[in-house]
Amino acid sequence: MSGLFPGFLILSAALFAVGALGVMVRRNLLVVFMSIELMLNAGNLALITFARYTDTMAGQVFALIVIAVAASEVVVGLALITGVYRSGRGLDVDEMSEMRE
Amino acid sequence: MTVVFGIAAVVAFLGALGVVLSRRTLYSALSLVLNMAALAVLFLLLDAQFLAAVQIIVYAGAVMVLFVFIIALLAPAAEERIPRLEWRVLLGGLAAIGFTVVVGRLTLNGITVGANGHLHGGLGPFSPQLVNAHGQVQTLGEQLFTTFLLPFELTSLLLLVAAVGAVYLSRHRRAGE
Repeated sequence: MSGLFPGFLILSAALFAVGALGVMVRRNLLVVFMSIELMLNAGNLALITFARYTDTMAGQVFALIVIAVAASEVVVGLALITGVYRSGRGLDVDEMSEMRE
Repeated sequence: MTVVFGIAAVVAFLGALGVVLSRRTLYSALSLVLNMAALAVLFLLLDAQFLAAVQIIVYAGAVMVLFVFIIALLAPAAEERIPRLEWRVLLGGLAAIGFTVVVGRLTLNGITVGANGHLHGGLGPFSPQLVNAHGQVQTLGEQLFTTFLLPFELTSLLLLVAAVGAVYLSRHRRAGE
């Protein structure tokens, strides 16, 4: 059992890195958003891993709270995305430069 | 145990890669569902049964249905010319691999795991045997409503604000309003 502890953490780091890669490389707003979800999930995995291996409950409680935060983030974010789409622009992140400078 | 971890880890990683590398947005969303299901299996391995169920219900259920719904709604704009092997993709991939390697080195060298399967020092009272004997959901609920009452209340406030914000943002504005 103890041998899997680094495995969980390395998997969590790998998932986080892939999510960050998606945020930086992809241009589609929806895919960027899904990559953020990926990063939040990787954080959850690390929290639950540490909760299990230190015999505490705090990690699980905060993973639950992170899930609630992610759900509300999705609600607001998707409302913003539909708003952007409705205003006549596409979903390309590189095209949204009104707030530059 | 190790076999289940290996399979779930590979599936989770492939799902994550599928999110980032799929050409079509719908395939990204389906890869994300796969990733979340594999993560629920990993949560089960970590003695977090309640969170595995929540992961399936909230993420793979509610959140991803919302995503697929929005993708179907915005279908024309959801297609994307994906950058294939541009310099920023290569640099980003190298950075991601580097990050994973650094964290892996730190984990393998910096953290020592004792013979009983626990980290040295700082052990709390909630061993898996004790938690399972008392009841997983009971223990989590008691903790949530006593020690972590303030974060719990703040989360409820956050959900209210998110609901009000979503209603405001998705309100249909007429011209001149």
